[in-house]
Amino acid sequence: MSARARVDAMKSSAAPPTRTADPSPPDHFPGRGNYLSYVAFGATGILMWLAAFQVLRAIRALGAGEEAWNTMLASFRHPSYVVFHAFLFVGLTWFALRFFQVFPKTQPPRMGPFARPSDTFFKVALNGAFVVVTLLIALVLGGAIL
Amino acid sequence: MKTLLIKLEPIIWALFGAGMMVVALLMPGWLLMVGVAGPMDVLWAEALSYDRMHGLFGHPIGRLIAAAAIALPLWAGAHHIRHLAIDFGGIARDTVFAPLCYAVALAGSVAAVLAVLAL
Repeated sequence: MSARARVDAMKSSAAPPTRTADPSPPDHFPGRGNYLSYVAFGATGILMWLAAFQVLRAIRALGAGEEAWNTMLASFRHPSYVVFHAFLFVGLTWFALRFFQVFPKTQPPRMGPFARPSDTFFKVALNGAFVVVTLLIALVLGGAIL
Repeated sequence: MKTLLIKLEPIIWALFGAGMMVVALLMPGWLLMVGVAGPMDVLWAEALSYDRMHGLFGHPIGRLIAAAAIALPLWAGAHHIRHLAIDFGGIARDTVFAPLCYAVALAGSVAAVLAVLAL
């Protein structure tokens, strides 16, 4: 049995000359063209943290008892809090719809034994799931079901 | 640290991907109902009452959803913020900034598990 070939067997021992420039942002980054929406999409990470910590606060209040829960709900009635939550809602809804646009482009040509579904399938499935799940959450938290 | 981050990349990427989907599907509904509609008295009066909400989130499935709705978005957010920092500040500080982002996500995840266990 022969030894495995080494891919770097013919590699020069001397360091090659640098052919590429140091990395730098492209022209007009981040304020123009697609860069702005790209940066805004990245910045939704901050909104995700804010929303997740809000849910954590709610669950902790729920665990602390009725008084803590009612105090938290009362604090949510402040107009600045309502505006803040509305901003998070708009920001994360925009994130979701953009994510659903980007998602199909990240999928490989084959997914296990199956061929990659069409872009239309992804669009209908993801946006449909968004509508159904959001509606379901609205109905449950709104008291219409469960 | 750089080697560790590369080794953990598959785990971080999985949490990030799951977090993106959880944020997209769960957060808008939660924010709309608890953050906007509830305080504006649009909902049925007892919809967000303590007993009802405790009943929903005290159930094992409710606990699981609550833990996922807190922990996974923290990992998705951490990955987004890390890459935003690379775009603006370069890769040089990533070995400091990335662990900080993921440490926040990890601490939040632990807090989430403790919070749902206390329900």
